Amino acid sequence: MTAIRPEQLMSQTDIEIVVDDPTAPDENSPAVVGTGTIEIIVSIVLLLLAVTLGYDNWRTGASWDSTGPEPGYFPFYLCVVLAGGSLYGLVAALLARRAGGEPFITRAQARRVMAVFAPTLLFCLVTQFLGLYVASFLLIAGFMRLIGKIALWKSLLTAFLFTAIMFVTFDIAFDVIMPKGPLEAAFGF
Amino acid sequence: MEAFGLLVHGFAVLLTWKTLLLMMVGLVLGIFVGVLPGLGGPNGVAILLPLTFTMDPTSAIVMLSCIYWGALFGGAITSILFNIPGEAWSVATTFDGYPMAQQGRAAEALTAAFTSSFIGSLVAVLLITFLAPMISSFALKFGPPEFFAVYLLTFCSFVGLGREAKHKTVISMSLGLLLAGIGMDTVSGQLRMTFGSAELLRGINFLVAVIGLFGISEILLTMEERLALRGHAASISLRVVLSVWKDLPKYWVTLLRSSFIGCWLGITPGGAIAASFMGYNLAKRFAKDPQSFGKGRIEGVFAPETAAHASGTSALLPMLALGIPGSGTAAILLGGLMVWGLNPGPLLFVEHKDFVWGLIASMYLGNVVGLVLVLTTVPIFASILRVPFAAVAPMIVVSCAIGAYAIQNAMFDIWLMLGFGVVGYVFKKIGIPLAPFTLALVLGNRAEDAFRLSMIGAGGDLRVFWSNGLVGSITTLAILLLFWPIIDGLIRRVGLARGGASTSR
Amino acid sequence: MRIPVKAVGAVAALLMSAPALAGWEPTKPVEIVVAAGAGGASDQMARMMQAAIQKNNLMKQPMVVSLKGGASGAEALMYMKSSEGDPNKVLIAYSLIYMLPLSAKIPFNWRELTPVSVIALDQFVLWDNAAGPKSVKEFIEAAKAAGSPFKMGGTGSKREDHVLTVFLEQKTGAKFSYLPYKSGGEAATQLVGNHTESNVNNPSENLEVWRAGQVRALCVFDKERISYTTKVTETQSWHDIPTCKEEGLDIQYLMLRAMFLPGKVTAEQQAFYTDLFQKVTQTAEYRDYMEKQALKPIFLTGKDMVQFLEEDDALNKSLMTEAGFVAK
Repeated sequence: MTAIRPEQLMSQTDIEIVVDDPTAPDENSPAVVGTGTIEIIVSIVLLLLAVTLGYDNWRTGASWDSTGPEPGYFPFYLCVVLAGGSLYGLVAALLARRAGGEPFITRAQARRVMAVFAPTLLFCLVTQFLGLYVASFLLIAGFMRLIGKIALWKSLLTAFLFTAIMFVTFDIAFDVIMPKGPLEAAFGF
Repeated sequence: MEAFGLLVHGFAVLLTWKTLLLMMVGLVLGIFVGVLPGLGGPNGVAILLPLTFTMDPTSAIVMLSCIYWGALFGGAITSILFNIPGEAWSVATTFDGYPMAQQGRAAEALTAAFTSSFIGSLVAVLLITFLAPMISSFALKFGPPEFFAVYLLTFCSFVGLGREAKHKTVISMSLGLLLAGIGMDTVSGQLRMTFGSAELLRGINFLVAVIGLFGISEILLTMEERLALRGHAASISLRVVLSVWKDLPKYWVTLLRSSFIGCWLGITPGGAIAASFMGYNLAKRFAKDPQSFGKGRIEGVFAPETAAHASGTSALLPMLALGIPGSGTAAILLGGLMVWGLNPGPLLFVEHKDFVWGLIASMYLGNVVGLVLVLTTVPIFASILRVPFAAVAPMIVVSCAIGAYAIQNAMFDIWLMLGFGVVGYVFKKIGIPLAPFTLALVLGNRAEDAFRLSMIGAGGDLRVFWSNGLVGSITTLAILLLFWPIIDGLIRRVGLARGGASTSR
Repeated sequence: MRIPVKAVGAVAALLMSAPALAGWEPTKPVEIVVAAGAGGASDQMARMMQAAIQKNNLMKQPMVVSLKGGASGAEALMYMKSSEGDPNKVLIAYSLIYMLPLSAKIPFNWRELTPVSVIALDQFVLWDNAAGPKSVKEFIEAAKAAGSPFKMGGTGSKREDHVLTVFLEQKTGAKFSYLPYKSGGEAATQLVGNHTESNVNNPSENLEVWRAGQVRALCVFDKERISYTTKVTETQSWHDIPTCKEEGLDIQYLMLRAMFLPGKVTAEQQAFYTDLFQKVTQTAEYRDYMEKQALKPIFLTGKDMVQFLEEDDALNKSLMTEAGFVAK
C-alpha cells in the first residue's frame, strides 16, 4: 500500500483535491474551547479597544463646536456605541454560558487550522527578513510536501515555478517592487 | 441625433486593424492584472500606463480603456473563486459568488458576473452617448450635503438586513467606522487614534483589511471544515453560459434597478463605490425571501456586478467632463489623459471630438470583445479549482501577501492582513457579520467628511439636509429605508385588517 | 527615437557641469514618490517627468510613479524618511514639507532628506464663480455684506489654501468659512456648482473650468503678473490676471515644487539626479507643461537651493504661526 501511494497521488493531484477525505465523518474530537468563552474574550477585547480609542478621541476633542463636530466627535461616540454593543454581548454570552454552549473548535479542527495558520505566520516572518520570494518558495514547497503529502520533486518544482512567475510578473515586467532579502541582493536585484 | 452621427464617426476612427489589435492586447493585459490580487484595477492601469506613452493619443486611450475593461472583468474572477475581492466594488460580489463557487457552481457565477458586467456597462455607455451634456450638469448639483445624503442612503439600505443578532451588527459597523477614522482627519488636519505610530499615520487601507478578512480567513475556515475547495464537481461548458442567459429575463427587475443605481451613483463624483453595495442591499431588501441571499443565489451576483459596472463606466463621465475621477481607476486614466495634453474638463467634448467619440466608441467595442474573451476563458479559470488544495492554499496566501504589500509598499500591511485574517476567522465563527464592517470601512471616512463639510458650510445647522429638493428627497428616502421593516409591517397589518384575516401577524 | 535622444543628450551635455560625469547610475527602477492623490498637481507633474524621461531616454532604468497621498501627504514624508540611504526613491515635494510637521506634529524635517533641485514655483489665484462679483473689490464687499460667511473651497486643512484664507480675512475684515476638500479638482467643481463662493486654487487646478468660462480669475498672489501671454481663454491670457497687490490686497504666496532624495545618499547619487532633472527641464515636455500650468520657472541646486529652502521654511513658519495653525 505504502509503495504505490506516491503514484496514486501523482495521478490524482491533477484532478482532485487531497487534504483529507472530505466525506469522512468528523471523528469525535473533544472541544478545545467553547463558543461562549470566545464570545466573552472577544467582547472583552472589543471593550478594551473601545475604551482606549475612546480616551484618545476624548483627548483630541469630542465636542460639537460652532462649525460642527470636532475631529474626535464621531469616533468618540462610536467608541461608546462599540462599548455598549460589546457589554451587551458580554452579558448575553455570560448568561448563555450557564445554559451550556456548542464548541468553538474541536481538537482535530484546531490541529488543521494551525496546520495552515502556523505556516502563514512563519511565511510573514520569513518575508520580513529574507524577502517575499524566498518565503513564497519555502511556504509552497513546505506546505505541499508536509501537509499535502505531494511528491517532493513536484512540490519543489511547483514552488519554484510559481515564485519565478511572480518574480517575473511583478519585479521585472510591471516594476512592482516586492520586499527582497539577501538572496536577491546576491543576484543584484 | 447629433450624438449618433458623432458615434458613427468615432467607430470610423477606430475600425482599423491596428486599433483592434491594440484592443485585444489591452483586454488580455487588463484581465491579467485584474486577476492578480493587489494589482487590480487602479494599480494595474497605473503600471501599464507607461506602455502607452509612445503611442498617439487615440490608440493610447483605446488601449488604456481596454485595460480598464479587462481589469473590471478580471476583478470578479478572484472574488468568486477565492473570496478575494480585488477592488472595493467587488466585495459585494463575494457575498453570493463565493458560496456559489463552493457549491460547484463557479462557472455559473462567473458567467453571471461577466454578463451582468456587460449589461451594466452597456446601459452606462448608452447613457454617456446620449445624455452626456445633461448629466455633467447634474453632477455639479452635488455638494457636501448631497454626498452625505447618498452615503446615508447606502448605510440605511443596509441596516436591519442581516440574520445575525442586532448587537453583533452594531459592533461590526461601529468597529468598521472607527477603524476608518484612524490616521489624519482631513477636515481638521489633525491626527487621531495613531498613538504616535508612523505606520498608523496613513490609516488602515480598506483593501488590506478585506484581503485578510475574506481571503486569509477563508483558508483557515476551509481547512477547519476539511472541505477543501469544492469546485471539482463543476460542470464546465458552453451550456452553462447559455442556461444562465436563458434565465436572464427573469431577473430584469434586478438588472434594471442595479443599472439605474449604478449610473446614478457613478455620475455622482466619487459615489461609484457605494453602488455595488446598494445594488446588493436593495435586491435583498425587495426579494421575497431575503434570507436566501448570501448562500449562493445568482441574483446576489447579478445585482452588485451590474451596479458596479454601470457605475464604473458612468464614472468616466464626470472624469471626462469635470476632471473629477469617480473611482480609483478613473483617477489613473485621468493622469494618462493629461500626459497627452488632453485636459479633462467641459471643453474636452468641444475641442477634442475625435478623441472623445473614439473613446466612447471604444467602450462599445471593448465591452463586446471583452465579454466574448472572458466567457471563453471561464472554463480555464474555473479549472483552477481542480488544482490540489495543498498547492492552491499556499499560493493564495502568497498572492494575498503580494496584494497587501503592493497597495502601499508596506511590510506592516502584510502583518495587518494576517491580523485581519484572524479577526475574520473568529468573527465568522461567532456570528459577527463582516459585510457591515467592510461597508463602514470603505465609506465611513467619506461620510464623516461630507457631514462635517456640510456642517461648516451651514454653520452647524442640521436643516441643511433638507435645504433643497435633491438633498431632501435623498435624505427622506434614506430614513424611509431605515424604517422600512416597520413601515412594511404596518402596511401589511393594515392590509390584513382590511381583508379581515387577522389570524396571523 | 534615436536621433532626438542624441540631440537632447548633446544639448544637455553642453550644459552639464563637471560632477555630473561621475559614474553612478540607478540599477533598479526609480520610484518617484508623490505626496498627493491621483490626478492632483504633483501627480500630473510626476507623470510629465516620467513621460519626458522615457520619451527622451534620459535614464536607462524605468521610472515608476508611486502615489503616497495618505494622511494628507504625511505618508510620503515618512516613507522618504524611513528610506535612508536608498538612491532609488525621489520625492516630488511642495510646501507640505514645512507645514505638516507644524500643524500635525509629524516627526519630519526636510533637512534629513537630500535636496536635489527646485524645479518650479506654483502660483495661487483667487477665483470666484463666473456669475459672482467681477473684481476683488466687489468680491470683498459682497463677502462683507453677506448674511452668512462666504464659503472658501481649498485642499486640505491648515495648509497653503487655508493660510491664504486666514490672511484674506485678516487683510479685509470679511469672514469666510473654509471647506477643506480632498483635491484641487474637487474644489474647482464645487465652485462651478455654486457650493462655494470662491477658492484659491493653483492655476492648473482651475485651468479647464476657467477656459470653459465657468469661473473668474480675480487676482494672483504674487509680486508680479504671470509671464505667459498666450491667450488661454477666449479673451484672457495668464498675464492678464492682475496681481492682488494691484487690486489693493497685499498678500503674496508662492509654493515650491522640488525634488528630494532620502537622507544619507552619496554625492555621486545626488549628482546623478541633479543632472537628470536639469535634463528634464530642457525637454519640450517640461516647457509645454510649465506654460500650460502657468508655473514659474526656476532651477536651483546645491547651496542656492538650501538657502532658498531655509528662507522659504522661515517664511512658512511665520505664516503658520500667525494663522494660528501650529499645534501645541
